[in-house]
Amino acid sequence: MARHKKGKSAVSGAVSFNMTPMIDIVFNLLIFFILTSQFSQLEIEQVTLPVSMAAKTKQVADYRNVVINLVEPDAPKCVVLGQQVDYRVREGDNELSAMLKDFKGDKEGKSLNVILRADELIPYEAVASVMLGVAKAQIEGWWITTELADQEEILDG
Amino acid sequence: MAKSGPPQQPKKIQPPMTPMIDIVFQLLIFFLLIPSQSGEAYLTTNLPKTSGPVAGEKQQDIKRVKIELQVPEGDDKGVIIVLNESRSFGRNFEGLLAALQGLKQRGLPPDHPVLISPWMSCRHKWVVRAFDMAVAARFKNVHFAVPYI
Repeated sequence: MARHKKGKSAVSGAVSFNMTPMIDIVFNLLIFFILTSQFSQLEIEQVTLPVSMAAKTKQVADYRNVVINLVEPDAPKCVVLGQQVDYRVREGDNELSAMLKDFKGDKEGKSLNVILRADELIPYEAVASVMLGVAKAQIEGWWITTELADQEEILDG
Repeated sequence: MAKSGPPQQPKKIQPPMTPMIDIVFQLLIFFLLIPSQSGEAYLTTNLPKTSGPVAGEKQQDIKRVKIELQVPEGDDKGVIIVLNESRSFGRNFEGLLAALQGLKQRGLPPDHPVLISPWMSCRHKWVVRAFDMAVAARFKNVHFAVPYI
């Protein structure tokens, strides 16, 4: 009997929710989505960027951009939106310029920027080929991504 | 009626520290990660139709400051800077900067064209550095040479 009574009183107690873990999880999700959305916008590859003192920081999200990555200095590869693209110079459009024209056509009315993220050891030939591809697509906004450094650091290096 | 007995001590309020520490750690991680993204900066250049590398268009040969970036033999990661096809600076970018500033002081306007002409095997970091020097010398009209096709 005593046992039965005890059980009954436990059930009738007030149920309260512990809010702390819920708030923790909400914050976690918030931070996760903020970070992943930035990464997916940039579509960046791992590269060692050259340093520059003349470069300026910008809010990339304020512009319409396409990020072109040039990776692997020994055998340069051009990666756009996670996809390897042929950028070699040829008569007419190559895969890169055709892709850029598509991007431009998709978003008519707004100017499109190209952001180049090239490894510091990439030969200029690859960069020049990408420049030609961009020019063929008649895109005029051309940004080169660098890391910021001060003058002394650059001249000493 | 006064209460009898010893005076009661005020209750110590002890807020739960665990969630606060959780959130502080989250914020710490967040702000540690964010600078690694925003540390990147951008060199803005234009590729205009008239002076940029438009395929099939040959550029007019106008008098401009030309910075050639050659690659030394036996050191494919090195660079030799040559200004206006006459002055060589080796790898000394400080010398290039001084020479560009000298040209500026002798009356070249800020919008005078500067052409950076790297060899095809020249590394990207040297091209960016030459661009840096031109901008540091207050030249605003800097272009890159690309192969003519």
